Amino acid sequence: MSTTRMHPATPGTPPTATPKPRTKRRRPWKGRLLLNVILSLGAFTMVIPFLWMIATSLKSPAELAQFPPTLLPQVWQWSNYSEALQAAPFHLYFRNSFLISAGHTIITLVLGSMAGYALARIPFRGREWVFMGFVAMLMIPTYTKIVPQFLLVKFMPLFGGNDIFGQGGTGWLNTWWALIIPGGLSATAIFLFRQFYLSLPRELEEAARLDGLNEFRIYAQIYTPLIKPALATVALLTFQESWNNFLWPLLVTTRDDLRVIQVGLAVFQQLDSTSWHYLMAGTTLATVPMVVLFLFCQKYFIQGFTHAGIK
Amino acid sequence: MVTPAVAHIGLWTALPVLATFALSLTDYNIFDAPRWIGIDNYIQIWNDPTFRLATWNTVVYTFWTVPVSMAIAMVIAVALNQNLWLRTWYRTAFFLPQVTATVAIAMVWLWIYNPQQGLLNAALSVIGIPGQAWLADPDWSLWAVILVGAWQGIGIKMLIYIAALQNVDNSLYEAASVDGASVVRKFFAITLPMLKPATFFVLVISIIGAFQVFDQIYVLTDGGPANATTMMTYEVYRSAFQNFQMGLASAQSVCLFAFLLVMTLISRRATRGDDE
Amino acid sequence: MNFRTARQTSTSQTSTRPASTPHRSAGRRAALRYTGLGTAAVLALALSACSAEDGSAGADSDAVSGDITLLTPIYEGAAGQRLLEDELLPQFYEQYPDVTVTVDYTNFARLNEKLTTGVVSGLVPDVMMMGVGWVEAFADKGVLANLSESGISVADLEKSTTPEIVQAGVWEGDVYGVPIMLDARFGVARMDLLREAGYDAPPSTWAELVEMAEALTVRSENGALERAGFDVLSLDARQMYETMLFSSGGSLFNDDNTAPAFNSAEGVEALESVVDLIHTSKVEDTGYSSTKETVNPLINGRAAMGIAHNNLWTQTLEAAPELLPELEPFLIPGDAPGMFVGGTLATMSKGSEHPAAAQALLEFLASPGPALAANEQRGNIPALTELLDSEYAQGNRLVQFSMENLDVAKREGGPSEWLGLRGEIAPAIESALLAQKTPKQALDDLADVFAGKMGG
Repeated sequence: MSTTRMHPATPGTPPTATPKPRTKRRRPWKGRLLLNVILSLGAFTMVIPFLWMIATSLKSPAELAQFPPTLLPQVWQWSNYSEALQAAPFHLYFRNSFLISAGHTIITLVLGSMAGYALARIPFRGREWVFMGFVAMLMIPTYTKIVPQFLLVKFMPLFGGNDIFGQGGTGWLNTWWALIIPGGLSATAIFLFRQFYLSLPRELEEAARLDGLNEFRIYAQIYTPLIKPALATVALLTFQESWNNFLWPLLVTTRDDLRVIQVGLAVFQQLDSTSWHYLMAGTTLATVPMVVLFLFCQKYFIQGFTHAGIK
Repeated sequence: MVTPAVAHIGLWTALPVLATFALSLTDYNIFDAPRWIGIDNYIQIWNDPTFRLATWNTVVYTFWTVPVSMAIAMVIAVALNQNLWLRTWYRTAFFLPQVTATVAIAMVWLWIYNPQQGLLNAALSVIGIPGQAWLADPDWSLWAVILVGAWQGIGIKMLIYIAALQNVDNSLYEAASVDGASVVRKFFAITLPMLKPATFFVLVISIIGAFQVFDQIYVLTDGGPANATTMMTYEVYRSAFQNFQMGLASAQSVCLFAFLLVMTLISRRATRGDDE
Repeated sequence: MNFRTARQTSTSQTSTRPASTPHRSAGRRAALRYTGLGTAAVLALALSACSAEDGSAGADSDAVSGDITLLTPIYEGAAGQRLLEDELLPQFYEQYPDVTVTVDYTNFARLNEKLTTGVVSGLVPDVMMMGVGWVEAFADKGVLANLSESGISVADLEKSTTPEIVQAGVWEGDVYGVPIMLDARFGVARMDLLREAGYDAPPSTWAELVEMAEALTVRSENGALERAGFDVLSLDARQMYETMLFSSGGSLFNDDNTAPAFNSAEGVEALESVVDLIHTSKVEDTGYSSTKETVNPLINGRAAMGIAHNNLWTQTLEAAPELLPELEPFLIPGDAPGMFVGGTLATMSKGSEHPAAAQALLEFLASPGPALAANEQRGNIPALTELLDSEYAQGNRLVQFSMENLDVAKREGGPSEWLGLRGEIAPAIESALLAQKTPKQALDDLADVFAGKMGG
């Protein structure tokens, strides 16, 4: 896996070592088998609820009512999927969710990584306070913050008919701004980026400074390419969180053409009854893009820390 | 470079947080203007047995979900960082619980826990253990919620550890191998220290997340039976949007905040060292 | 395939369709024809003419104009949206061409959040659909328009709607909300299972109910419950208890809604009866069913009788249409015949900039044609008495039964603090069902909580 590279000794890491020749150690096959068995069992346990979700999405209401319940559908009701998709304008909802999630992800990656870098690698006065401040922002539950946030959106000056004091109109309500900007950056991402930039060796930066690179180029060209796994992680988590968001898009929009996928799925859960087969079909469909995204991000999790040489 | 983020968080998060602190000292029912009442809300919280129970439940939930899933996630991450056959599929399987909206997937757990038709009791009966009414029995419902929380939390923790492991220099392991170190020894001597910044992150974020558990409760138990699974955030929600007591909800949030701040500072102490 | 045929057959028989089937406009359109939309339009017109005569906001038809918003937890999903936007609103626009309606769909679970942000920011929708129990708080705090001031009097509404239902929209003697759809809770028996056990009618006294429930309970050799004789756990504990309370002649609050009254002798007896069913008669075990069950146990034979919601009909229609003739509704026998009703009311914002348009929309949605269509879409109970004769109500046994018994129905709510109180009920009832507290203790403690909140 690993090729040799220049390894600068970092304070805090165990003293190492001149690069060794490639020595790929193989586990004994029994150990590997055992590991695979354990992992398979664990992975299977993790996915049981999903298997059940898919099985349910293919059952008819009559079969769902049966007791004892069936494990696999007796008749595979593929029509549940097409019928579920007809229950709401899902193509629109999918597009909206995608745009919002992509918007959040881009903002988070850019602003979050910059902030994380600054907090990890640029000494400035009050850095510790800014960092702890960011973390502290996570400690108030959504349900308390949501009303003030809504008010900020509504009284956004000079938008939606508002005057400069935010009066008179509807501000960002019913706009893409409200859907994309407020949730665009979370302190979690900044925190995660900071931790990843922290784990990189300082020598890279010193060498870059000697080469006369400015701070922004050190960030953009030296360090950030090294934390691709972190970028992939943040992208994945941000996208997924926006994709699954329900309450905020519901509150700040009144128009159906700005609604998102989770709002569409809520149609199947009414006050006194749930259309399980449609709900599960819809949820399965909503999960597929996330799985695809995860598989796509996979490739950023397999490269070792191998190309860090700046020479 | 930190300025845009400070501006964004400052406007969209810090202001609402400050508003929360201010409102916690008022009586605010959304219809009438907030009325200053000093620390009355806090006195009410102190005397509220349900919120006390919610706090205890939250602490129990956090105690069992955070350290346990962190340990499992780290072991899985290390295992899956090797060049294993089917590695991608294992990773996907472990991450899957994270990607699906909690509200939807928690409904599947309703079926798993169903006392008559559920998978869990069926599986237990095979090995001769009598089933339980998991969610309806106050002795079990909190554990049922904890299991879902742990199940769902493993994915994100594993992912962060996997990402962090990419930054661990392979030559360290190679050097250790040459010195004849065992797998276990390498884990403790190399992996664990190198994962310290990630661990600090996962620990803090998990504690914050666990303290704000809401969706599972909302779907699985509504805080019941008889308040056996109510949590701090669930009480905040009830105060704010069922009882229209925004002031009280704000004060409850501030209590939650205080708990989290103390725990974060402790975590920071505990994982200090390589962090700076 | 088999199943689909069955469903289609039953659909054509009853001319109704399950609320959650996405495509159903054909069946419903047919039903609309039966009741005659002309009536609806005429009525809406007449009502607004009424208000014009009263000389208040409405004025003449020319003044009915403007862009208004409608916040609604009903008409949801593509089917509901099609009904509202493709069929109902076009009729409304025919009457009021100068009005534009923007519809904001939400669901009941998140209605409070929508209303809260609306109230706090001053952007209250012009017309709002609310549940029973909401009107009190929003009327008390001056969010809702007093409809009696613009021509809708209690007496007028009582001509077309049962008084107890009208009261759900009344605050301090004036109308603030007009009922559109109702939902009820009552006893339902599976007649096929009753006949197997030798009974040919649902119980008519509580003693009979207990005796029958015991006989109908089936347990396996090791004691595991296989069929509950009487299911009380599939409903939310609050609604279940209220059904029992109302059937025993008790009330939630005293007459002027200033103090709790459910810990009266009747109230305690109602809860004791339920607790005895579980712990003495053992006709059901705690945890056997819940509100979150995939399917009501009455449908798959896991219960022979139970307290159920009127949407059991739509659920059965979807899952096991052949059982529909076997579902026999009955009032829970107690000291007084009673039934629990909830519902949805149309209300109007006090701050509406286009009150005439808003009121016209409200009256249109509450008029017979649109109200029937909305009820049919969700399988619920029309509030207007005249709709008992509609094809829809006649074809849905549970809706028909509910409408026939609306005179003994009681609703939730009363005091303006209701929304903040109701969440406390279920945990208290659960603590009694779990035998953590005696019924008396649980209700007394709950009454203390209520008294504390209502005093302040």
